[in-house]
Amino acid sequence: MEDVHERELVERCRSGEEHAFQELVDRYKDLVFALIARTVGDRSRAEDLAQDVFLRIHRGLPYFRGEARLSTWIYRIVANVCLQEQTRPPAAASLDDERTHAKALAGTHDRQFGDFELRDRLEKAIARLPANYRLLIAAHYLQGVQYEGLADALQLPLGTVKTQLYRAKQQLRRMLETDLK
Amino acid sequence: MFCDEALDAVEAIAAGEVMPDGRVASHLATCPNCASALESARQLETSLRQRPAPAAPAQFTARTLARVRRARWRSDQFVDIGFNLAIGAVVAAVVGGVWMLFHRTGLAAVSRDAADLFGSGFVVFARRVAPSLPLYAGAALLLVTALGIWWWAERDAAL
Repeated sequence: MEDVHERELVERCRSGEEHAFQELVDRYKDLVFALIARTVGDRSRAEDLAQDVFLRIHRGLPYFRGEARLSTWIYRIVANVCLQEQTRPPAAASLDDERTHAKALAGTHDRQFGDFELRDRLEKAIARLPANYRLLIAAHYLQGVQYEGLADALQLPLGTVKTQLYRAKQQLRRMLETDLK
Repeated sequence: MFCDEALDAVEAIAAGEVMPDGRVASHLATCPNCASALESARQLETSLRQRPAPAAPAQFTARTLARVRRARWRSDQFVDIGFNLAIGAVVAAVVGGVWMLFHRTGLAAVSRDAADLFGSGFVVFARRVAPSLPLYAGAALLLVTALGIWWWAERDAAL
C-alpha cells in the first residue's frame, strides 16, 4: 500500500505537478533534515544541505526507475551529500547554541544538568567520528531505520554495515571513556 | 576465552542483537573489565536511542520549493539562451551560405540589377498610388469599422 502511494507520488511529481513535489518534501523533510543535522552537526548548514537533497531529487526524478524504494533512493542522496560534506571540518561547536540554551534551561536541576552534560559529551564525541560512521549512527537510531535499508542506500553488504556500526560505537565508547578519565 | 573475543561481542549484546552464549556470559560474569565495557555499551545504546531527532525548521518546504523554482528558472534561461544562440548560428550560416553561393555563381551581379529594378518599380508604384491614398485610407477605415461592429454583435450574441 505504501509502495503504491510512493509510486503514485513519483508519477505525479514526474508529470510536473507542483503539489505532488510539495507533498514529497513535506513527507521526507524531517527525516532528511534529522539525518543531515545529526551527521553534520550544524543546523543552518543542515538546512542548506537538506535543500540540496530535495533539489537533487527534483532533478533526478525523471531518471528514477523505481527499482529501489523512494526512501532508499533518498537515503542514498543524503549519504552522498553528507559524505561530500566530509571535506569540511566537523562543526563540533555548532550545536553549542542549542546546548548552551539547554544547559541554561536546566538551571540548578542536577539530574537534568547531568543529562545535558552527557548529551553534550555524546554529541562532541559523535562529531569526532569519521563522516561515514556519523551517518551510520544518525541513520540507525532514526525512526528505526534498519540495517537492510542502510545497506541498500549505502550500496554496502549487510555485514559491512553491521561491522561499521559496531566499530563506530566502539570508537564512541572509547572516546567517552577517555573523556571521563 | 579472551577479553578481546568478549569485547568484540559487547556492542551486539548491548544492542540486543546477540544473546551472550555460555562462554561469553561466564566470561562477562567473571571479568570486571569486560562487564564494565558491556555496561558502558548499554549506556551508550540508551543515550543513542534517546538522542533527539531535530525537526526541519518552519518554512522549510516553502524555502525549498522557492529554491527549486529558482533553479528551474535558471535552467530554463540557460536552455532559452542556448536555443536562441543555435537559431542565430543557423540563420547566420544560411545567410552566409546564400551570400557565398551568390558570389561564387555570379548571381550577385544579377541580383544587384534585380534590386535596382525592383527599387525603381516600387518608386513608380508609390508615385502612382500617392494621390489616391486618402481614398484607400477611407475604405480601410470603413472595413475596420464594419468588422468591429460585427465582432461586437457576435460577442453580445455569445453572451
